[in-house]
Amino acid sequence: MSLNSTELLDQFILEARECLENIGHRLLDVEKSPSDTGLLNDLFRQVHTLKGNCGLFEFKALEHVVHAGEDLLDRIRSGQQRYNPEIADVLLDAMDYTSSLIDVIESQGKLPDSAQERSRHLAQALRRHLGEPAPAAVQSAPPATTADTPLPDWIGLAPPEWRESGRIVVRYRPEADCFFKGEDPWRLASTTPGLLHLAVAPDQPWASGDAFDCYVCNLDLRLVSEAPLAEIEAHFRYVPEQMALWRMPDAPPEPALAPPAAAAPAAERSCVQMDLMNTRLQQIWDDQRRLLARSGVSAGTVASVRQTLTHLLICRDDPPLIAEARAALGRIAPGPVPLAQWALQYRPGGTDMDIEGPGQAAASVPAPRREGGTAAEDGSTERGQKVLKVSQDKIDRLMELIGEMVVAKNALPYLATRAESLFGQRELAREIKAQYSVINRIAEDMQHAIMQVRMLPVGIIFQRFGRLVRDLSKKLGKDVSLVVEGEETEADKNVIESLADPLIHILRNSLDHGLETPEVRLAAGKPAQGTLRVSARQEGDRVMLTIHDDGAGIDTDRVRLKAIERGLIPADRASTLTDAEAVQLVFLPGFSTSDAISDLSGRGVGMDVVRNAVERINGQVELESVRGQGTTVRLTLPLSMAVTNVMMIEAGRRRFGVPMDLIVETVRVPAEDIHHFKRSQTTVLRGRIVPLRSLSELLGLDNEARMNDDGELAVLVVRLGSENIGLLVDNFHGTSDIILKPLEGVLAGITGFAGTALMGDGSVLMILNPKELV
Amino acid sequence: MKNILVVDDAATVRMYHRKMLGDAGWRIEEAVNGLEALERVMNQPPEQPFDLYVVDINMPKMDGYTFVRELRRLPQGTQVPVLMVSTEAQPQDAVAAEEAGANCYLIKPAKPQDLVLTAALLLGDGPAARRAADAQLQGVRA
Repeated sequence: MSLNSTELLDQFILEARECLENIGHRLLDVEKSPSDTGLLNDLFRQVHTLKGNCGLFEFKALEHVVHAGEDLLDRIRSGQQRYNPEIADVLLDAMDYTSSLIDVIESQGKLPDSAQERSRHLAQALRRHLGEPAPAAVQSAPPATTADTPLPDWIGLAPPEWRESGRIVVRYRPEADCFFKGEDPWRLASTTPGLLHLAVAPDQPWASGDAFDCYVCNLDLRLVSEAPLAEIEAHFRYVPEQMALWRMPDAPPEPALAPPAAAAPAAERSCVQMDLMNTRLQQIWDDQRRLLARSGVSAGTVASVRQTLTHLLICRDDPPLIAEARAALGRIAPGPVPLAQWALQYRPGGTDMDIEGPGQAAASVPAPRREGGTAAEDGSTERGQKVLKVSQDKIDRLMELIGEMVVAKNALPYLATRAESLFGQRELAREIKAQYSVINRIAEDMQHAIMQVRMLPVGIIFQRFGRLVRDLSKKLGKDVSLVVEGEETEADKNVIESLADPLIHILRNSLDHGLETPEVRLAAGKPAQGTLRVSARQEGDRVMLTIHDDGAGIDTDRVRLKAIERGLIPADRASTLTDAEAVQLVFLPGFSTSDAISDLSGRGVGMDVVRNAVERINGQVELESVRGQGTTVRLTLPLSMAVTNVMMIEAGRRRFGVPMDLIVETVRVPAEDIHHFKRSQTTVLRGRIVPLRSLSELLGLDNEARMNDDGELAVLVVRLGSENIGLLVDNFHGTSDIILKPLEGVLAGITGFAGTALMGDGSVLMILNPKELV
Repeated sequence: MKNILVVDDAATVRMYHRKMLGDAGWRIEEAVNGLEALERVMNQPPEQPFDLYVVDINMPKMDGYTFVRELRRLPQGTQVPVLMVSTEAQPQDAVAAEEAGANCYLIKPAKPQDLVLTAALLLGDGPAARRAADAQLQGVRA
């Protein structure tokens, strides 16, 4: 089937990903509760849908794998097979591979030939659990007929384009009693892979009159296919003895055969076409008769059969027959039996019509009863919330636009000032300001609304954890149960995305170094199964993520030792650290190196990397560990990072922005309260010593911080990790929402700045990154 | 114009059926499971009834069998042919479809022309049936 229209393909990819995601999820759920039939049914349905969708395209490799998976799950859900970890492994493998194939389809629109091999392999692995031979094994026993014998004469009738070399010619003569074996020769033939041509003729002349038996198959099906021989053999694998196969030779066969009726194909074909429709018509006709013959057939079904039979008659282009049959139909009694008898008289799709007179004339049929609208009354159906799928690009575009809008609207206050000061238009300035506040409000609402669209539940990244924990703990020989809480907590898509890697890092640390093997745990008097708890919740405009394990905790002695060894802190200082402080040493860059992790029974693998990643999105990491009891990592993150709220400050007669997230407070400190100690300055705020640094000095500007008229210095207290530091600035200005653009190009290497922002008056504001500065 | 209700939980399949059957000249409506389909049937304006149901079997909330059984109890559902299209290739599935009251059963993925031909026959749309039969044997890779 070559119906790979892009629209349909896109839909396919979208739905396939959705299915795969759900499958991955369910597989892990099922592992936890293998007897939950609801879960199994849901899982099965997802795989089933995926397989059905694959079948619409020519993605054979994909279909093979998914089909095998479906068969296996069908066994499991029907209780014929027990779900076990090996099965889970194969299924997960198969779904991973399927997922990768979907990626290939998306990028290339088709599957590479190499996919066949791997998918057969995976399908076999799945089918091994079914205890049935893989299809490949069936294929290895080819039908007795060979593809090398001379071609039959009739192939000369086929048009030349079907006779290309390598095509497979098939003759299929179903057994006379094949209908009793559950075979459907027409369906089998017409679903042949790569089918180009299909002709059907009676095998023997049709018997007439009473000798005719509609249950005897009398067909001679001839087809031409462009599929590989193996595929065709596999397709007809249940009826090999009824098949004859030939392969078209390299040279066109015309000279050898040159049938006199070379011009005949057209005529024969049109005859066959008519046959095709009529064959199908007769099939459906017979289906209806069978339906009527069922015991307990409902009145509604009988009515539908009646309607269907009428429709079939209409399709048969034979007005006298239609008129005759309909008249007879109008006279028959209601109920399945008279209708069945009536249907038996006609063979609208048969090659010859034997129309007998109506078997029985009866009273006219009453119109189908209409029993009123009891059902139609509860028409006030409330559908669930409709969900619209929108591509990420569109939302990102919206976000960019609203960003520009926020900046553009900020130009209005400047305009108002100019109107007043430059042109003396006070009234106009007032109106502009009034208008500005309206636009401002709308822009804020809009921004909020768009940000809501970008919010995703953190569960999206949690989903990956199930698999990670399962695979890793298995590999490490540990028994770990993952508990996930607050998956529905939402945060901006960018926050979520940049969180995934640090979180996985943390989890891996817990699994690798935190949690102990069952033996060690039992020896320590803990349950054999370790618990890894990942929870999320919203607090104000921040999202709190907690990753807790009940493992061994961090060995602070070793951490101290390591830190001294690596020259990160002097030995005397290390010994004065409390345990809680020692734990923090793992955040030091350079603390973890590859040889340190193998024997360190605690954390330490790249925690500085985690901290950097989290701080890049304006988040904070806290680490707490109690030896023997476990470790807790707390991440605090902004809900959104699309818009940054900054405070504008002045230093060295220039303006800079500082992210509000980092600002603890702004204070004015009398000059005499600033203590100078050697080259460093400190002051005491709320009973705590706060080190002070001059911002202009840090920035390499040669101005001293200016005092105001009261002899006070402006101190901006910012939070750097766990400690506060005061920045001496010239002055504070208001706050503003800005869209932070990172430094790019030649400026990218400059440290000390988080980025730039375009202000309403067209100027560029440099946003400081105090952490890098100090 | 003939009105077809396609009932399938797979969006891809719905789109596929919409394309195939829509191109044949019929009006297509969709429902994502048996329950929603039943609601659609009940709320369908009488002047624009469905002329054919194309129904999947395995669906959440309400499967195809149940839908057809329920449909056959409704005044709107008695006269209308049902075409079941499912990936269930086991003979017992076809039997179950029949038991439920489906008029015809096709195995998914149905070849486009076979789907259209079958639908045309069930709808009593002779010209469309002939076109589909033609197309199927035109050597077009259906």
